[in-house]
Amino acid sequence: MTLRFKFILGVAAALMLATLPWFASPTLIQFGISTLLLATLAQGWNIIGGFTGYASFGNSEFFGLGSYGTAIAMVQWQLPFGVGLIFGVLLSVIFALVVGIPVLRLRGHYFAIATLALSQVMTAIVSNLEVAGRNTGLVLPLLNGDTLFYELSLAVLLLATLTVLWISNSRFGFGLIAIRENEDAAASMGVNTTLYKVLAFALAGVFSALAGGIHAYWITFIDPVSAFDLSLNVKMIIMTVFGGPGSVLGPVIGAFVLSGISETLSTEISSLANLFFGVVIVAAVVFMPRGLADLMRRFRKTGWRYFSENVKQHRL
Amino acid sequence: MEQALVVSTMQLLSQILVNGVLLGGLYALMALGLALVWGVLNIVNLAHGALIMLGAYVGYYLFTLLNIDPFLALPLSMAVLFCVGYLLQRGILNLIARAAMFNTLLITFGIDVVLTQLAQIFFSADFRTINPSYAGSNFMVFGVTLPLVRVLAFVVALALTIALWLFLLHTRLGRAIRATAQNLGAARLYGVEPKAIYALTFGLGAALAGGAGDLYGVVSQINPYIGATLTAKSFAIAIIGGLESPLGVVVGGIFLGVVESLTALYIGPTFVDIASFGILVLVLIFRPNGLLGATT
Repeated sequence: MTLRFKFILGVAAALMLATLPWFASPTLIQFGISTLLLATLAQGWNIIGGFTGYASFGNSEFFGLGSYGTAIAMVQWQLPFGVGLIFGVLLSVIFALVVGIPVLRLRGHYFAIATLALSQVMTAIVSNLEVAGRNTGLVLPLLNGDTLFYELSLAVLLLATLTVLWISNSRFGFGLIAIRENEDAAASMGVNTTLYKVLAFALAGVFSALAGGIHAYWITFIDPVSAFDLSLNVKMIIMTVFGGPGSVLGPVIGAFVLSGISETLSTEISSLANLFFGVVIVAAVVFMPRGLADLMRRFRKTGWRYFSENVKQHRL
Repeated sequence: MEQALVVSTMQLLSQILVNGVLLGGLYALMALGLALVWGVLNIVNLAHGALIMLGAYVGYYLFTLLNIDPFLALPLSMAVLFCVGYLLQRGILNLIARAAMFNTLLITFGIDVVLTQLAQIFFSADFRTINPSYAGSNFMVFGVTLPLVRVLAFVVALALTIALWLFLLHTRLGRAIRATAQNLGAARLYGVEPKAIYALTFGLGAALAGGAGDLYGVVSQINPYIGATLTAKSFAIAIIGGLESPLGVVVGGIFLGVVESLTALYIGPTFVDIASFGILVLVLIFRPNGLLGATT
């Protein structure tokens, strides 16, 4: 595919998604909003997890901070939604810097567990804050306008995807990939690894916080447990890994496909959807660790051997 | 009057310290399996907490359905979890043994999700507790109240820790496991079969988790979602104590138990997790080889 063709295809897909609210049913639009927000989270995780290779199990913190930032600004200080959103993003970026600078010095397991531990703590911290409404949470003003929320979510996802597209072609992105492949070598080649990692973490924070802010205003009620929902980590990670970590469109496709399947499953039994996510992570890591994007590229040549070759390559 | 106050404060403090130490023994057993698997296989098993949860449910159902005392059920719970662990390693984890560490984190995370959701489907999300007739009994030593089940759990946890240590030091299999941890290539040359050793070690780690879970069900409440917190706590303990010896893990467990008890009393019960994970993050940042580990 030529670059121009790809560009036209991308614009057409975005336009098609944008016109959806005018002919879809209200339930479909609501499903669309949550899928777009999940895709945004996945794209955010892609920056730190996919490109930089730092497995963060705590990106839900950013989502929660975005939710709470927006809610506190709107409810406690009566500021407009836009300002609230910016406040949420600001909180998230500050958190990414304050926590990221020490925690991103850790590698591998240590980083993963530190983020896991932090995500467990946030609920407890927020439940002790008066301004955040303690355990009871906050109720935001009601705004009936699913179309508006849909378009807003789509815009944020587009922004995130364009940012990732820029990353994948920039000096910054090559630096991140170098860190993923071999951090010491990257450092010796002159990559300022600390700066790059913290920036990647903060960028992930920006998009996750935007998704959180929109979600809070849409759902109109937040409390510590739902805002810092740990299962969001499961979803954003699996969507990215399934779609193709470190690719531009992988996380978005992963989010669309998996949301669709899990939505169908959860109309039957709700816990079945989560079980499905777990099974997909395990199967994806074993059979297609480079994701759907790589599978589609190589499947034509290798056929079903694609899966057995992945297993052969990594088994004991 | 003032003297009485001092005495009661001292008594309260010693009670809290004793509670913390008793809890810490159990914490140590929880962390032991994680540390073993991490040290030998270089896998940080994010499903470790879920295995503890499964062990707790095995104990719970043996008690409620078959009326088996939880302390007698301990070997059974460990045996069941050994099989689960052995099969997980043999069937799934061996398939990605040579993949990047990132992938082992993802896959154990996936296993954690699967186990948690299966538990929710089959056992329901209700809080359960293993409640034998002697659950409420206490005895007093020097004015400090000692709950019987917690003391028993502490003793069993310590005994298992020592048993593991002796096993690793003095048996043929234990030596093979330690050799694999130190140098896989050299161990292979001496006839160690890594597939089997890996599966055995992971099974052993899971068995320890199962034992810890059974005891946890006696002293605390269980539900399918306790896993993630317990994984993080086990990791915290392993980090604080260092990976070199089981004794370090015991020290780490008791340290965390005491800190949690003190936090619950002097700051507030809602701050317990903040304190323990705060310590984890601080230790990770300032002494990544453990409080007791060597400095680099």
